[in-house]
Parts: sequence; C-alpha cells; structure tokens
Amino acid sequence: MLKRRWLLFTGLLIFTGVIGGILLSRARVLAAPDQPISYSHQIHVEAGVQCLYCHTSALRSDVAGIPSVEKCMGCHSRIATDSSAIQILAGYWERGEPIPWVRVSKQPEFVYFSHQAHLKTGENCETCHGDIGSMSDTRASVKMDMGWCLDCHLKQSEDKVARLADCLICHK
Amino acid sequence: MPRNLNRREFLKLAAGASAAAGLAPAIHSVVIEPFVNPPEEELPGQATWYASTCRQCSAGCGIVVRTIDGRAKKIEGNPLHPINRGKVCARGQAGLQVLYNPDRLRNAVRQSGGRGSRRFEALYWPEALDLLSNKIATLSSAERLAFLGGMMPSHVYLLVTRLLEALGANPPIVYDLQSALEGRGAAAQLSQAIFGTPDLPVYDLSQSDVVFSFGANLLETWMSPVAQSVAYGTMRQGLMGNRGLFVQFEPRLSATAASADEWIPVRPGAEGFAALAIGRIIIEERLGHVGSYRSQAVLYEDVDVGAMAAASDVPVDILRRLARAFADADRAVAIPGGYLAGQRNGFASMLAVQSLNLVAAQVGREGGVFLSNPGPTAALRENPPVNTFDEVMELTRRMKAGEIDLLLIHGTNPLYELPAATGFAEAISRVPFVVSFSPFVDETAVWADLILPDHTYLESWGYQVPLPGADRPVVSSQQPVVRPLYDTLATTEVLLGLAARLGGKPAEALPWEDEASFVEEMVGELFGSSLAAYDARTPSGFWALWRQYGGWWSEKPIHREPDLTELVEKPLPVSEPQFEGDQDDYPFHLYPYSSIILSDGRGANVPWLQETPDPMTTVQWGMWVEINPRTASTLGVSDDDIVQVESPYGMLEVPAVIYPGIRPDVVAIPVGQGHQDYGRFTQAVKGSNPMELVAPITDRSTGALAWGATRVRVKPTGRKQILARLESLDGKGRESLE
Repeated sequence: MLKRRWLLFTGLLIFTGVIGGILLSRARVLAAPDQPISYSHQIHVEAGVQCLYCHTSALRSDVAGIPSVEKCMGCHSRIATDSSAIQILAGYWERGEPIPWVRVSKQPEFVYFSHQAHLKTGENCETCHGDIGSMSDTRASVKMDMGWCLDCHLKQSEDKVARLADCLICHK
Repeated sequence: MPRNLNRREFLKLAAGASAAAGLAPAIHSVVIEPFVNPPEEELPGQATWYASTCRQCSAGCGIVVRTIDGRAKKIEGNPLHPINRGKVCARGQAGLQVLYNPDRLRNAVRQSGGRGSRRFEALYWPEALDLLSNKIATLSSAERLAFLGGMMPSHVYLLVTRLLEALGANPPIVYDLQSALEGRGAAAQLSQAIFGTPDLPVYDLSQSDVVFSFGANLLETWMSPVAQSVAYGTMRQGLMGNRGLFVQFEPRLSATAASADEWIPVRPGAEGFAALAIGRIIIEERLGHVGSYRSQAVLYEDVDVGAMAAASDVPVDILRRLARAFADADRAVAIPGGYLAGQRNGFASMLAVQSLNLVAAQVGREGGVFLSNPGPTAALRENPPVNTFDEVMELTRRMKAGEIDLLLIHGTNPLYELPAATGFAEAISRVPFVVSFSPFVDETAVWADLILPDHTYLESWGYQVPLPGADRPVVSSQQPVVRPLYDTLATTEVLLGLAARLGGKPAEALPWEDEASFVEEMVGELFGSSLAAYDARTPSGFWALWRQYGGWWSEKPIHREPDLTELVEKPLPVSEPQFEGDQDDYPFHLYPYSSIILSDGRGANVPWLQETPDPMTTVQWGMWVEINPRTASTLGVSDDDIVQVESPYGMLEVPAVIYPGIRPDVVAIPVGQGHQDYGRFTQAVKGSNPMELVAPITDRSTGALAWGATRVRVKPTGRKQILARLESLDGKGRESLE
C-alpha cells in the first residue's frame, strides 16, 4: 500500500516536472535573452536604419547575417560614444573580440530555411520576426515550430501549396 | 546481455527522458559570434570556393577549397586543372587538418631552456627577424651558412636561391625522404643520361595498351599519384579502344600491384635484370613491329636471358610471354620506379627499364614517354632539383667539422627522415645556431634555437610548376583561402624581410614588398601568352583569372618529345645488387615503403589520415611489419605477434601482419610512424621509425640513398600487440564456419 502511494507521488512529481518544463521552455523561447550588450532594435529602426543595412545577406543568402563588430564601429566611432552599451562595444573592438550574441530566432539543425527564398516572395521581416522595430529587448514574437510554418505555407495559392507542404521542402 | 527492464523502471526512465526533453530548449542557448572584421568576399551562410594548389606532396595538384563564414570547410580537386582533372587523394582532402591542427605553433618562438628543452618563449616577429638578420650579417663567411629544404614550391625555391646567391652562400640542399623513396633525384639523372635534360619524363599511361611498372607505386605516392590514377582509369576503361594490360614488378604486392593484371615478385635489386631479359628477348626474337633492331642490339650485347631469369627469380617463359606482350602492343610503356632507385644498382636498373621504351620505339610517342614541359618563363624554370644523399652526407660532415655556423631548415625533417646512422643528430648539435621554419615542433625543430613557423599552404600565396608535368605547360597557383589563423609568417615574407634588413645585394636581389606582390610579378610575365586557356585584357585582369582558374596552362596539349643521347649506343651495364648485412646473419631484405596515407611521415600528425585504413592490410592508427606466411611459420610468428627487426644499424619492435603478398625473403614496413615529436596524434601510435634500421649507403652512380638495400633479421618476442584492422586478412578466425 505504501509502495503504491509512493509510486503515485513519484508519478505526479514527474508529470508536474514535464508540464512545468514545457511551459518554462516555451516562456524561455519567447522571452528576451540576456545579451552581452543591451542592444535595442527600436532605437536603430527609429533612427531610420534599414534592416538590410546590418543584416546584409538576407536577400542573397540563407542566413540574414549578424553585423561584424567593424560595421557597428563604422557608426559608433562617432555616435553615442558616451553610452555605456557603446563603451562595451568599443571594448570588444579594441580587444579584437567577437561579440557573443545570444541567438533569438533559431531553426533546428534538421530544418532547411532560407531568408533569400522568403524575401523573394515579397514577405517582409516583420511577418516572422514581429514588430521588431518597437522592441527595446530583442525577443521572438512567435514560437517558430512546424505548425507555425505550415500555417502560412498552407495559406498560399493552390499552385504552390503542394510544393510548400512537401516534407522535403524544409527537411532536405 | 540486455538487462531485463521491468515496467516500473521503464516508466521511470521514460518520464525522466521526456522531462529532460521538455526542458531542453530552456537550458540550451546558442551563441552567435559575428566577425570582428569580416573576411573579403564573405557572405554569411554562402560558400565561396577558392582555387589553389595542394601542398600535401610535391605533385602540384589543383584544388578548390570551400570556405564558409571565412573558414575552410572542404577540399576538392580543381576540375579545370590539367594535372589532376578534378580528382584529389585522401592526403589532399586531409589538408584541412593541417590548417586546423591543434599542435601548430601560433607564433615565432625561441627555445628558452636551450635546444632540445622543448620550452618555448614567444618572440615578436620584428625581433625574430632582427635576430636572424644579425646572425647572417655577423657570419665570418657566407660559406658558413647552409639551407636545407624539402621539396618546396617553386616560389619559395626562387627566393631562397636568390637570397643565398646574393649573400655569396652555397645554394640550398633540397632533400626529403619522400623524394628519396620515389627516386626523384635518380629519375632526373636518368633523364639527363638518356634524354640530355634533367626534366622528369611523363609516362603517357592513359593512351597505353601495355604498362610495365618496375617498382613504381604509381597509384599511391610515386611522383604524381593523382594524375597517374586518372590516367590509369582512362587506360582501364578502354577509352582508347581496349582495356590496357598492367604488370607490376616488385617484391611486395603494393596497392598498385593489387590493381595490376599481374604481379611479378622479382628478387629485390634484380628488377633491372628482368627488364634486360625482356629487352634481349625482343631483339633476339625480332618481336613486335619495329622492324630492324640493329641500332638497339648493341644495348643487350652483354645480356644472357637464362642468367637474368635466374638472378631475378622470374622464369624464362614468363619473361618471354611478357616480352611478346610488350613488343606486340601498339602503345607500351615501361616505368622505372622509386624502389629501383633505392638499390645500390639503382641507376643500372632504371636504365635497363627505360631502354625497353627505346627498344619498343615508344619514346616521344603517344602512350609512351614524353618529357615534362619546363616553366614557360625563365623565372618559372627555376624549380627545386633534388640533391643527392651524398650531398646531404657532405653537409652533415661539414656540420660535424664545425664548418657551419648557421643552419636554416625548411620543409624537411632530417632527424626523422635520414637514416639514424647518418649521424645528423650529432651534426646538428655542432651547429651554433639553427633556425627551423616548420609550422610544427617536429624532431628537427626541437634542435633549433629559433622556430619561425611558416603559414600552412591554405594561408599563403605562391605558385608551382608541377614536375613531372601534364600533357601541356602548367603553372599552378596558390592563394590564401582563409586569413592566417595564428601569428605565423610565410617563409617568403621572412626571406623578403631579411633581405630588406640586410640591405645591399640581398635587398637588390629581393626587392619585393611582400609575398603577394612578388608572386604577382612572377606570374604576371605570363600575361599576353597566346597559349593560355583563358584571355585577359589587362595585367590585373590576368591576376584575377589566374587566381580564379587556379593557375595558368596551355589550352591545347603540347607534348615535349625527348632527344636521345649517345649513351643509348653502348651496351647496358649488368650491375649486381649489393646489400648491407651478411646474408647468413641477416636473412631478409628490408623494404621500408612510402605509406599511401602518411607518405614519408609528414601525414602522421593528421588524425583523418591515421584513421584511414591502409589499403592492403586495413590497419588503422598503427605500424606493422609484413611477413610472408611461409616465413612466419618458420619463425613461429603469427598475426599481431611483436617481432624484433634488427639490421646491422639498429633494432625495432613491431607487430607482424602475415601477408601473402610478399616474397618470403623480404619483410616490409611502412614509413611514417614512430615520431618522437611532431604533435599529439603521432604519439597515439606505438611505433618506431624504420629509418633507424636503414644503412646510410648509396648507389655510386647517382649518389642516391640505397634505402632498400639493408638486410635484417627477425625474431619473435613472445608478446602481442593487437592491430586495429578494418577487415581481417583472408577471413582469419572464421575457419570454423567452413
């Protein structure tokens, strides 16, 4: 009898653990991670900087690209040099170190995703990345799972749906 | 074997696993590091391919290297390159692990605890160059400076010779073990004797119907193995009409012999005798379609077929059959290989083999013998010749006698590669100041005062005229595919820096600002050549195309036909092989062969190569001695038994591989393992250096090291070392399944 109660208790504990873990991880995915420099997309977008100025390869490559430290310093040698965040940036530049940004939007290794292909069809950055221009801390606006991808793929015109719903289009 | 898992345990495990899986994204954060300064032409996520030249051996194959985000990821053959035509060997592919090798030196160093201490102190480059130029400037005479190099690419050789000449010093000594094992020096001397030029012959395998290879492992490491493998493929696929016949004469069944139609296990040192007998039979029986053999009859005046057959251990009827096959073929070619050059009668044997091409009138014919095209301009004709072993011995003597005050070593590792009995270790200790340019701390660099690590070939500029060449003039280009990983410096930059510091004649002889501008000027002379496979309108356009194509070559094949010297009008010498070690005390011939994966040992620090199974024994990460089953049963030795192999010069212990593909009087050991230094991966293999057994004797006619002329005895030790093999030999251990 004691044994059975003990088993029930353990089972319950594991169950809560699993559910808690899933909820927590979901929250983590959608939360803004701590970054080495408190970077604000909002400030840059409001200043009129285009997405492609920093994420230069989005139109030409699978990945959008994170700007090099050199690119940051192209402006920040002069702009906002008294800000503490920029001073941290300048520190990386002087030491010749890359900035260890924490990735916000990530596709799993088994997914083939191309920025180039999506931008070519006329999608813009906000479709997937949300209203990033008003975010002071960068966070994912959606959980980029397969259901979410298909949601959009299945809404495309009929001639494209068969291709866009094919497993091999993403899982090459 | 599997433990029974009850329901409860299973549920516990499953719940735990799913909890961990659910939590995974929460505990996993990915860091992305952008570049501080992005590399040129870098587009994140997209690959850039750079054409360059492989330097894993001296063949000069063209490669293309896939780089992504500024990192080299994959090496492939350059499909446009006339040498390797898009193919590349395992050693070429493994070049990435030379670049990323964790044992690379990351900056210039001085041995702080004195030579041999292996304690290094980083040195600022300008300080290192000042130190070295000061050493050169204060030499009492330029004669006291010596440069010992391996088979370096053409651009390094040109700068080295020009600098030494400007200083009034002796020219560099070029020698490494691979060039000795492939008989490169002897082959050049043979060309000089028969064709009147030291340029190496090109054997037109692809167009041949019958190929006789005498000790040339042409599908493994000999000369230009990828080019020869491509040609071999063409020959075998019967693209020329019929499937060619390939016969290998060699005391051991190498991977090349295994790809042949017939393996003739000739007695060591008697390969030339088999060739002489075949030539004599062709003439005696007036075989083939040459008509009159009057002009060649004189060559075989002193040859007796019966005696040759007995001496070479090849029955007369086999020789007769082979002679007919060779003479009756439309296109046939005989190749004198490296194993011949490693005997004391090497030159005579090679001459006998090359003469078969004369007898069958295959010189200057398609499917026969041509000469390598030399460099297309005067500067590009300056390519490293191989010095003889005698010249290395002379340098060693001078070092021992205290006649050398400053020794510079580049691209060779004499402490590992020379027979231990040469005494190079003692000689180097008598030289007051030694500088090594090795990117790794190898056995020789340990005895250097100063190590000025060169870039790897994937980080620097250069060019190379491949010798032996292709069917057309070729200059192969080398360019950096990544930014240098560490604070190393190309040796050419060191030489230019030294010249600038020394001023005067050296500065005039080497006026270039840096490596890239020097290379650009040298190859810029090719701009406007009407032969080129591509057209450029401006010099800078040429420089761009040169890098994109991976070099310069002629659009059409240009075969260079050899001329014959009067040597071919004299009877061929019949020279008995001689061996070091008494036959009764040392009953076996030692065959230290060049390993297809480790070459002469320079691949031993590359894990991808170490784990590549040897094609014949399938051993990985190991070293062994091959023994014939008959010999093994007499000795009471079986597979994996450690045996003692002893020559008059040294002794080593090594596990045995019982190998039916070897003569009973021969034991063979692959070269390449048994490093004392040269990085962590070389230490993972229990092994010894077979060069410790080799007698420092030469072929008197060429001065080449007779590395195959040492006799040994073999004794079981009663211990075992199980070798890791991909496949067991002959299904051993499965006898009960019969």
